[in-house]
Amino acid sequence: MIYSWKKIVRHGLPLLTVCVLIEIFAGQILQDRQETLVLFPIFLISIPVINGVGGNIGSVLGARLASGLHVGYISISLKDKEMHENLLMSILLGVITYVILSVTIYYIYSTLLSYNSVPINLSLLKFVSIVLGAGVLLVCVVSIASVFTAFWSFKKGLDPDDMVAPVVTTVGDMMGIVLLFLLIGLVGI
Amino acid sequence: MYAKEMVKQSLPLLIFCGLGGIVAGSTLGVMTDLLESIPGLIVVIPAIIAMRGNISTAFGSRLGSAYHLGVIDADNLWNEELKQNIIGSLVLSFFISIIVGVLAYVTTVFFFKINPDPVKLIVIVLIAGIVSAVILTLMTVVIIYAVFKRGYDPDNTTGPALATFGDIVTMFCIFGSAVLVEGIL
Repeated sequence: MIYSWKKIVRHGLPLLTVCVLIEIFAGQILQDRQETLVLFPIFLISIPVINGVGGNIGSVLGARLASGLHVGYISISLKDKEMHENLLMSILLGVITYVILSVTIYYIYSTLLSYNSVPINLSLLKFVSIVLGAGVLLVCVVSIASVFTAFWSFKKGLDPDDMVAPVVTTVGDMMGIVLLFLLIGLVGI
Repeated sequence: MYAKEMVKQSLPLLIFCGLGGIVAGSTLGVMTDLLESIPGLIVVIPAIIAMRGNISTAFGSRLGSAYHLGVIDADNLWNEELKQNIIGSLVLSFFISIIVGVLAYVTTVFFFKINPDPVKLIVIVLIAGIVSAVILTLMTVVIIYAVFKRGYDPDNTTGPALATFGDIVTMFCIFGSAVLVEGIL
């Protein structure tokens, strides 16, 4: 037998505990800004979208970097051209995805549903700028986290495939929420 | 050409995951009354979703490796290896749920000087954590079975599918659990 439930629990518990501890702080930021979120539910709805897409892009980048490092066509250097191309592609993918999804959210909640979640003075342009701004900054942050985690773990002899996804999704959830409120403040609602 | 290929392969899946995020987010959107009446509830949401995502993608990826190692396949799925993996995921969900509930209570008291009901908070997290774990574990086994039957590589398919369904199932479970506990306690 290869697997035993005791080993699965013993190996999973430490990393998961660190992850949920950081996620609890992300949750505390939400609690701090709960009034804004309850008043403008369209932002509450956007949070899983912003964080989910950011986490996905970061994990996919990490998986590609891991394959490149294993096979040898990516080297551990901040000047690696292949790595730069992958970074740029992640940002481009982020821009396209966030534009499509933010327009979709805005139209679902302002026209299709008579759900009182879109504030009257929040125009499509403002909403898209907030989500796109927060989203693209998030993709930059998770991509950098992804590159450093992949390089660091590969150097240490750990498998980047195991390390990148948990680190990137946790960093992404925390920063996604911080950046959303930063952009709400900058654009103004 | 390289860039075009990458956009073509990744974009549809990213958009699909994003639409799943809209469904999960909308569940959060209709919960605003509950979020106001149960202090601390909003704190546990990112943590439960992250716990679920981490435990079930690890479960899926272990089953993928088990398939490549030849210890499970479509005709020999329900064996001791799978059972150990299922028990491991459920026990992890149980412990992490309790940790999430306790951490949410302690940090809320510390940062906001308000006193949420600790029993209520822990029971909500525990019910949501266990129910979503059972649903997603079964879902993973079904997805893995379908993937094996078709002869696809489970490594390429289970991750994104679990991430998308996982968020939706988890949000429904938190909503249901909060309604239930608020009604009883």
